[in-house]
Amino acid sequence: MDERQIILAIQNRDETGLEELILHYSPLFHYIVAPIVTDPHDREECVSEISLRVWDKIDQYDPHRGSWTGWLTAIARNTALNKIRSQSTQNLKTSDLSDLDEVKALPSKEPSPEEQVLRAEQKAALAKVIDNLPHGDRLLFYRKYYYQQSTAQIASELGMTERAVEGRLYRLKQKLRKKLEGGVFHD
Amino acid sequence: MTKIDFDALDFDALLEANLPETPPPEDVIQSITPWRKALNRILTGMALTTLTLNFGLINYFMTATGLVLMFLGFRTLSADNKWFRRCYQIATLRLGLNTILLIINATIYQTEFYKTTFADILSALNLVLVFVLFHAFWRGILTVQEKAGLARSAKGAVALLIWYALLCIWAVLLPVGGWFIAIPMIIGYIAILRSLWKLSRILDEAGYTIKASPVRCSDRTAVLAIIGILAVGISYGYLFFDQYPMSWATASPSSNPEVAAVKEELLALGFPESALEDLSDEDILDCEGAVRVLSKSELYPVNPGRWVTHVEDDPRQPKTTTKTVYDVKELRITSIGVELAGEREQWKLIHHFQWDVDPGFFGTESIQLWPTDRLDEGWRTISDFSGHVRYDKDGQTYTSPYYFMGYETYTSSSIFFGDRSSTDFFADFSFPKEGERQRGYLAYTIEEVNDGWILDSWINYTHQMKWAQYPVNTAKEGRRMDSFNRSGTFKLIQDALQFYPFYPDDLPN
Repeated sequence: MDERQIILAIQNRDETGLEELILHYSPLFHYIVAPIVTDPHDREECVSEISLRVWDKIDQYDPHRGSWTGWLTAIARNTALNKIRSQSTQNLKTSDLSDLDEVKALPSKEPSPEEQVLRAEQKAALAKVIDNLPHGDRLLFYRKYYYQQSTAQIASELGMTERAVEGRLYRLKQKLRKKLEGGVFHD
Repeated sequence: MTKIDFDALDFDALLEANLPETPPPEDVIQSITPWRKALNRILTGMALTTLTLNFGLINYFMTATGLVLMFLGFRTLSADNKWFRRCYQIATLRLGLNTILLIINATIYQTEFYKTTFADILSALNLVLVFVLFHAFWRGILTVQEKAGLARSAKGAVALLIWYALLCIWAVLLPVGGWFIAIPMIIGYIAILRSLWKLSRILDEAGYTIKASPVRCSDRTAVLAIIGILAVGISYGYLFFDQYPMSWATASPSSNPEVAAVKEELLALGFPESALEDLSDEDILDCEGAVRVLSKSELYPVNPGRWVTHVEDDPRQPKTTTKTVYDVKELRITSIGVELAGEREQWKLIHHFQWDVDPGFFGTESIQLWPTDRLDEGWRTISDFSGHVRYDKDGQTYTSPYYFMGYETYTSSSIFFGDRSSTDFFADFSFPKEGERQRGYLAYTIEEVNDGWILDSWINYTHQMKWAQYPVNTAKEGRRMDSFNRSGTFKLIQDALQFYPFYPDDLPN
């Protein structure tokens, strides 16, 4: 089955499509999940969850808005992030509630309207800055902050030493900091 | 609007928290993989190394770039499976061998090197290595697919393997067929490359299982190191292996009274004094009792000269002429014929050359001698060729035998005459970069076989004009290429001693 046939089968609720999805896209799911979910058992669970989410959300896939791989990447990443978030919450719930510092560290329940506006502005500003980065810096940024890859993984895949990657990341952060501070949020 | 105080925040957390919720752009999705960059490098490397363009230095550049790309590509994949590791080892070996060959090409010994059995073994080894590499590459891809649980399929790599085998058979066993075979092979090659590019798409699924190999030095450092080694090696070749090793020794004047007596005789007969001073005792003594001496001397330029345009001042027929004028003529060639005493007519012929003006560069020099019995039947050479080279420095004269002197059979290619085999006498030598009055001579004796034949002896002096040439060829090789003054690297100067012994007055002085 090729990509188009898999999509069509899932859309038609044909379970063969799900099997083919697992067969063909497990390597991609593992690649995206591995840096985020470190426990091998949780990772396998997460990959299964991704396939089910694809099955459930297939109607949301719009080929005009992006590629199939891109959509799968976003689903895989979000599933992995949700997995570790839910695990953190679970851990806190089962831990000693008298540990007030840890409880305090939990994110607040709902952001205030002012925080929501601020968050939207930050996202827009960051998106603009990322778009204007040189290609190499943009890839590095996504590897580090979107894919959450380790320095070692980035280094080996880019044919660089870890030290060199750390240096480039440091310079990238300086550049981003400068651009975001340099009047981006000013009138 | 609000200004964010970044110092008060964890910047990493801030960036992660504010990432756009949409998937990354398509170019990012395509680029962030553990294999795509490596595989693209490998495929580009294969394309660059398997079929090269023999035009200028492009073939060297294509091969070197291709091998570096394959080395870097397989380095990334080497940790994934044993087949890719094998590819990496072969790519490293091929890169090393090619680097050594590129350095050898910057020395005057490169042509001789490629004639050796060792070079033949290296060429054969390279063919085998490429074949083994293609095979390992194919197996490596299958292993990745197997690891990912996908169907094993790499037809493009198999096709490449078969194509390469056919190419080897064609190149080694059947170097015939010309374009009738070459065109289908090129078309097939392009089709296979296309197939390989498609193959890289197939790995879009299985390739995510590849574990990229950590590196101790970055790609950039590796490339810079390779470029550095090449730059140092090639510079070393140009600096220290651009001349023949000559056996220079201080020259001392002869103490033999017989030699002095013969020299007096020869001078009295009109032998040019400066040339006489350079002859060996043996060659001077050969001329004992000489009957007569005929000589001619001419200056030749090796510089390009300058163009002078002349407008004739005739109002009825205005005419503009342009000609090359040489303000300096660097090389003096003196050709001398000494008629020896004896019943049978014998001549000792001497071709003497001297750099009156420094030509600016000395690399390799070569003399191709066409003795008088080369074409005509009236004479035959009855002695060995003799001679040596000399130069002065700080008032001291240094002398050395030729680096090589003797007959050689060679094949030269000409666009007019095709390949042709010739046998000629050559004398090869180098002069030191410092010094003055660089000079030398070649002498031989001929005997009359039939009456009435012209005496016709040629000296073809090939001077290397500049060091900048790649691969490096000696002056002799430049001459044999049969391309006149090839790219300005070599300059051929021809001089002939031609006269009828009965009418010696025809000889210009």
